[in-house]
This record gives sequence, structure tokens and C-alpha cells, in this order.
Amino acid sequence: MAMDELTREFLIESQEGLDRMERCLTELEERPKDAELIGEIFRAVHTIKGTTGFLGFTRLEKLAHAGENLLGLLREGKLVADRPIITGLLSLLDGLRSILKSIEVLENEGEGEDTNLIGRLEELQEPRTVQTPAPPETRILAVAGATIVAKPRSRAKASASAAVPPSPPVPTAPTPLAHAAKPDATPAPMHAQALAPEPEHEIATGAVTAKNPGTAAGTAAESTLRVDVTLLNRMMNLVGELVLTRNQVLQATAADPNMRLLSRRLDMVTADLRESVMKARMQPVSNIFSKMPRIVRDLSQSLGRRVRLQLVGQETELDKSLLEAIKDPLTHAVRNSLDHGIEPPEVRGAAGKDPEGTLLLRASHEGSHVVIEVSDDGAGIAVEKVRQKAIERGLITQDRAGQLAERELLQLIFLPGFSTAAAVTNVSGRGVGMDVVRTNVEKIGGKVEIESRPGKGTTLRLRIPLTLAIIPALIVHSVNQSFALPQGALSELVHIPPELAAKAIEWIEGTPLYRLRGKLLPLVFLDRLLMPGIQHKATTDRDNFIAVLNADGRQFGLVVDGLADPEEIVVKPLSAVLKSIGLYSGATVLGNADLALILDPGAIALRAGVTMSAEDEAEHAEEGEIEAGQATNPEYLLVEIVGRKAAVPLKDVLRIEQLPLSRIEYIGYRPVLNFDGQLLPIEDAGGILTAAQGDPLGAEVNVIIVVCREGSRQVGIAVSHVLDVAAGSDLFEGGSSQPASGVTLLKQRVTGVVDLGGVEPLPAVEAAADEWAEAVR
Amino acid sequence: MSQVQSEGGRRKKAQATLVEMCSVRLGQGLFAVPISHILEIVGSARPQPIPLAPSFVGGLVHYRGDVLTTVSMRHLLGMPPREGSQDILVLEAAGGCFGLLVDSVCEVLTVSSDDYEPNPSILDERHRALFAGAYKLKESLLVMLDPERLDPMRLGAVQAA
Repeated sequence: MAMDELTREFLIESQEGLDRMERCLTELEERPKDAELIGEIFRAVHTIKGTTGFLGFTRLEKLAHAGENLLGLLREGKLVADRPIITGLLSLLDGLRSILKSIEVLENEGEGEDTNLIGRLEELQEPRTVQTPAPPETRILAVAGATIVAKPRSRAKASASAAVPPSPPVPTAPTPLAHAAKPDATPAPMHAQALAPEPEHEIATGAVTAKNPGTAAGTAAESTLRVDVTLLNRMMNLVGELVLTRNQVLQATAADPNMRLLSRRLDMVTADLRESVMKARMQPVSNIFSKMPRIVRDLSQSLGRRVRLQLVGQETELDKSLLEAIKDPLTHAVRNSLDHGIEPPEVRGAAGKDPEGTLLLRASHEGSHVVIEVSDDGAGIAVEKVRQKAIERGLITQDRAGQLAERELLQLIFLPGFSTAAAVTNVSGRGVGMDVVRTNVEKIGGKVEIESRPGKGTTLRLRIPLTLAIIPALIVHSVNQSFALPQGALSELVHIPPELAAKAIEWIEGTPLYRLRGKLLPLVFLDRLLMPGIQHKATTDRDNFIAVLNADGRQFGLVVDGLADPEEIVVKPLSAVLKSIGLYSGATVLGNADLALILDPGAIALRAGVTMSAEDEAEHAEEGEIEAGQATNPEYLLVEIVGRKAAVPLKDVLRIEQLPLSRIEYIGYRPVLNFDGQLLPIEDAGGILTAAQGDPLGAEVNVIIVVCREGSRQVGIAVSHVLDVAAGSDLFEGGSSQPASGVTLLKQRVTGVVDLGGVEPLPAVEAAADEWAEAVR
Repeated sequence: MSQVQSEGGRRKKAQATLVEMCSVRLGQGLFAVPISHILEIVGSARPQPIPLAPSFVGGLVHYRGDVLTTVSMRHLLGMPPREGSQDILVLEAAGGCFGLLVDSVCEVLTVSSDDYEPNPSILDERHRALFAGAYKLKESLLVMLDPERLDPMRLGAVQAA
């Protein structure tokens, strides 16, 4: 496009100015007398006006001029920024944006009339006595307040029409007065413009502009420089290449004392350079957070909600591309919160809540991740509704739904085609909600978590990696190849030499297990997984290295033939064909110039069928899979309860806790365990806890609790020892194919199956009133 | 194939009916790819095998800072795998770049569209999906390979179907 440099610069500057203006406007609504905010908005509009005259954009100049007049009065204190004025200024903002957009795309100001908007802005300059929207009693007041009073309805229509983006800027509507009678005629198409993706070809490096929106922005210009994102991307790629070359140089020169100093220097410089380039790509989350006040404002008006938006941790920085990638999911989450989460004021009032809901957006660092939380204090997610809906939509079988715990049921809302909204609104509820959020976030290596308490609200947590490009990884060997294992998932390494393998690796029906500090760790042999159907070396003929991995709450050991050094690897994307294998998240070039595939621990766990935790079960549920294999040949955790052997269905075992007796508390006579705020009733049939209290070690003596899932609750079983994991048919000679946990089964066997359903619920559960009782359920 | 544009070619032919082809050898057969589709020829590569990948995937190679998925032409033709290194044609298709593993890359031939014939009707289904007709040379036939049809994404979809 042959746009001259001056115009291009003008566009970027103006867009930045308008972004600032938008931020300030929403703030102004809260602090209508803040002179600094008004000054900032005035400057933005004034700058546009000044430059347009010079560049000859008359349409833009006229509109900006009208806005400037209004803003001038505000600045002089002759007017107070009440809601109609702010709404008017927002329309001005949209109007200016749409013209700028037209200049950028079409290279002219576009066909359009702004007399409406200008008229309205002029009207607003008339001094009025209104501060708050008044009921349309008198005609004059109605004119002034119309924009707001009539808003909820017409806005809804406006966003419906907004689904068809870039519409021709401003319709030619009659006279200003007639326009006042039908309020939102103008904003509608403009709204569409605002929703259309904004051009962001260039970014300003440095965080100054956004850290303190509205105030420090003006002074930042001197010390910052605009850099094209494509250039930054290229730099990042080159740095990646340099890191690879450095790795190769380091390996090649390791033996040469003369080169060592040089290569160490190269190492340092590369690391520094890498960090700097990465930093250059970082932008504060306020860049996307700042779009939210407007969205919340518009939506809460169209939905008739009252919402207070809180933004926390705006200065948290994230890679530019990642920031771009979470913009849509975040917007979606905010929309969801407003539509499904926060109730209308009447409902809230009736429930004894503050009629004004709170929506909190919080960004923070957590290890190598940035966590972005969207939490509301709304109605929460009705788990039962989710269950029904999932069955209705055929996403899950009735049986399966019955078995799922609350937490797992919540995961169902991430399934494609799921929506609990009774009616499809144009805000959300089309059933393309949360699955899109999750796919988008997972696409960039992030995770989505959801927490919800009925009546208390919902928290959606997006866990985003800091960067995508370079990750620390351990290089492992298997099937005569190198693979990279992301360090993030790796918790420890265990070496089992061939002579010990026979003892250390235990087998149950072809399932290898390793006792890691008393806990049974399921093992996955990488060679068997990658090359099924081939005879592999027995564990006793080779070294076995167990990489203990934690992936999405599943813990398992990945057995490989050999280990190499950890390396910082540059993630290279794989082609779609290879991605669809599902086990590799990318590839990389190693220091020795070999290629290595990057293993995806979560996918491996899933492929190998590692099932130990709630999340895992939920994953299976998502796939609509019923674990037929387990149903016909159930596995049991074999435990000893005071000299007597008992079996707990393995599919119900969530985890095994070894903890000091002091952690066990009592409600009346009932022992309970407070685990992360959740109370578990503990079944102590053998009197283990009672016996332990007599122990000379006192409260420090350790007890073992098997935490199990029973229906929608969790219960703990106090046991003396955890012995083994065994398949049902082998362990029990009767070989019943009935699923576990029944009193009848218990009676039939020498080794009884612990009847989890028989564990008495806590007395408080029945009361079901207190907050903590809900936590148990 | 007469309208193949030689975007990548250095010389533009005055006559549109002349096309430059890069000929490759696979076993005894002579095949060709229009040079306009070829980004680069990488000699004597040893692709890294990828466990569990679809069988037509010949492995991964490092190519200009990226990893390139390769397609084994031998596999597609139903020929046994070859020991030792192979040459790679880096091709550009709609789905992105990929490498085509061939035994060896031969000369660049200029052929005339007058000599072109579409796939014969008796050609079996599998080969018809891979070839885009042939040019009649003096000595032999030059079988055209269509880069679009060799795109691993497309092959994957075909295999899945």
C-alpha cells in the first residue's frame, strides 16, 4: 500500500491516543472530576484534530473539533462528565476509530456523515441539571437521558448487527432531534467497527505507556522506539538459531582448553541476547485488560447487569504473540461471566448479595507461567444442570455422568457444543464458548482451569507459558533416537541398573509399576509406546531410567534407555501430519546437530492410559470413553487394615496420603481430614487412628489415608499399609465382573472390597448450609 | 501442466509451452517435478525417523532453521526402502513446505507441452492419485509428480479416509 510515512505515523499515533482515551473514559466514569483524565482525553482528540487539518482529512477534523469543544468545557469545569457525556464521548471514540480505519484500509475517510454524532456532541455541551439518568418524565430530560434509559434494549440489537463487521461508517440519519428520539441509531454500526480486529502491525517497545495509563504516556515517547513485529519475530528466530549454534559450539569445544573461554563467552552473550530479545517482545497485560472496561460497560448495559470491574496485576508482562492469542479467550471469558455468571441486580438483591456484581481480572506470575484469572461473584455453575445438559447433548452417557464428581462435571463445559444458557443470547450461549477458550489457550501451551461454587461465583484460570520459543528440556534416548522431555513436567529421575530391574520394577498383569517412596508409580516404557509390536530389550538387559513426570495431575514414570544433558531447546513447530500423532509437541535441533522430537508428557500419559487422578478421569470423560477394560477386569489397590487385607477399587483411588496424625481432626466422634480446604470424612474401621493416638510418638506418628472418590464426594480410608495394585480377576478367585463397592461383594470374599458408599457422610453435609459443607460435596 | 508459471525459475520462457522439469530417479523410474515448485534441493540427507508417524512420512530433516517433514516417494510407489542417504526436493504446497525423498536428483529437462499426455485410464487408482500425466521423451516417459498431491497433509487425509 502506498501510504506515505506521515499518514502512517499519524494513524499509529492516533490509534494509540484513542486507546488511551478509551482507558481514561472508563476511568472517568468512576472519577468524573479527575482533571488529569480529562486532560489526557482532550490531548488525544486535540492531537488528532491538529494533525488532520494538516493532512487534509476534513471529515475527521470536523468530528474531532466537535469532540474537542465538549472536552474543552469539561476541562474548564463548566460541565461534569456524567453518563450521557461519557456515552457521547465513547461514540466519538468509535466514530474517530471508524474513520481512521477507513483511512488505513481505503486510504480515504470513507463516505459517511457525522452530523448526527456531531449534533449529539453539541447537544451535550448545553449545560444541564442532570447528573444521573432521570426517568423520562419531561421531554427535555428524556432527550438528555435517552441514550442511557433506552440503552439496554437497543444495545442488544446493536451488537446483533455488529456481527457483520466493517459496515459503512455512519448512516445518514435525519436531524439531531429526531435522532435523540431513537437513541442508538448511530452507535450501532460504529460498535461493529469497534469489534472488528484492530490493526496492530506495530507495537511500542517498553512498558511505560501502559503501566500507568493516561499519565506517563506522554513522556515515554522519547525513550521508546516503534519496531515492526515481523522484525521482532525474525530476531527471535535468529536468536533461536544462535542458541542452537551455541549448543553445538559448546559441545564441539568442550575438550579444547583454548576454546573453552571463548565458548563460555559466547554462551553468556547468547543468553543475554536471548533474554533481551524476549524482553523486547514482552508487553504488559494491561494492553488487553484495558479493552475490558469498555466491553464490560457495554455488555452490562445491554444485559441489564451492574458490574464493578477490578483489574489487578496489569503490569504483568507476556510475550506479544501470546498476548494476542489470549485476547479472544479472555474476552469470551469476560462475556461469559457477565452473561451466565453475574445475576441481574434484582436476583442478586433477593439472594442477599450486593446488587452490583464484581468481576475481577487478575494477572500474576507463577513460576514459568503467567496466570490470568477471571473471577466473578455470580451464581456459579449449576453442576446438576451441567450433568443433565451433557447427557441431553449426548456428550456423556448416563452411567458415566452418575460417576463423575463435581470437579469433573465442571470440565464438561469445555466440551465442544456445550452450553447451559437456557436461551441463546447474542452475547454467549451458542455453544461455542468454553471449548474455544480452551482450544485457544491450549494451542499456545497453556491450560484452563475452572472453579465454581454455587451461589458464590466462578473463577476461570488461564495458565499461559511465559514464552513459547525456548524451553529447558532433558534429552533422553530410546529406540536409538534422542527425544526432548520438557523440564517443566519432570520432577525426578530414577536409575535402575539391569541387575536390580527384576526386583525394582513390579508387574501386575503386564502393567509395570515402581514403588516411589512407598507410592506406586505407573510406568510407561517409551520404546514399547513408540514402537508397539516389536520385541524390545528386557528391563534386565539394559539400564532403565525412570523420568518421573507430572502432567496435568497425572504422575507416571517414563522409562527410557539413556539420559543426556539437559539443554535449552528451541521449539520448532511440526507439520500438521506429525502433530496429529499426538505424542510430540514439536521438534528441536540438538547440540550435536541431531534432530529430536519433543515429547508431550500429558499426551503420553493419556495414550498409555495412566489413570490416577481426578483430572485424568475427567479427560477420559471428555472423550466420551467408558473404560471398558477396567470395567470387565477392575484393578484394586490392595491394602492392609490392622492385619486384614482389603481391596479398594483402583479407579476410585484419587491418591494415597501419608501424613502426621496431627493433621487428622475430629468433628464429634468423626475423624476428618482438612485437605486444601476440603473436608474428607475418614473411615477408620480398623481403629488405626485410635490406636495411633496411643503411640509414643504422639501426634507425629504417620498415618496412611487412601483418598477415594465416592459418587460426587471424596472419602478417606485409614489403612495400615498399602500393599499392591492388582487386577480383580487375579486377586479374587470368585472373579465377579460386578463393579466394586458393594456390601454383597464384601461378604462374598475373603479379601473384602471396601464399601466406599458405606462411609457415612459428615453430619454437616446433611445440614448443607455452611460454606464448608459445600466444599465437602 | 502447460500453464506452469516459472515463478521460482530464473529465466522466463518466451513460449509458455516450454516447461522446465527437474527429473528425479526412483529405482528404475524417471519422474519429474516442475522446477517452479522446487524451493531447494538438499543432497544426501538422512532424515530422522518419527515413531508412530504415518508410513508415507520419510522422517524429519533440519532445513534452514526449521524442521521439515519429508514424504518417502519410494513408499508411495510401493518400493522397498533404500539403504543409505537420499536426496530431498524441498517443495512448496498449499499446506506449507515439505520434503520429497527421492533416490537421486538428475538433470533439469525442458519439455514441450506438445508432448504431454494425461494419466492413462488404465493406470491404477493409487498411482493416478500421485501422478499428473507424463511427457513423452525420445527414450522414455517422464512421469509428472504433482506437488499438491504429495503434500503430507493431503496424503494423511487420504490415508485416514
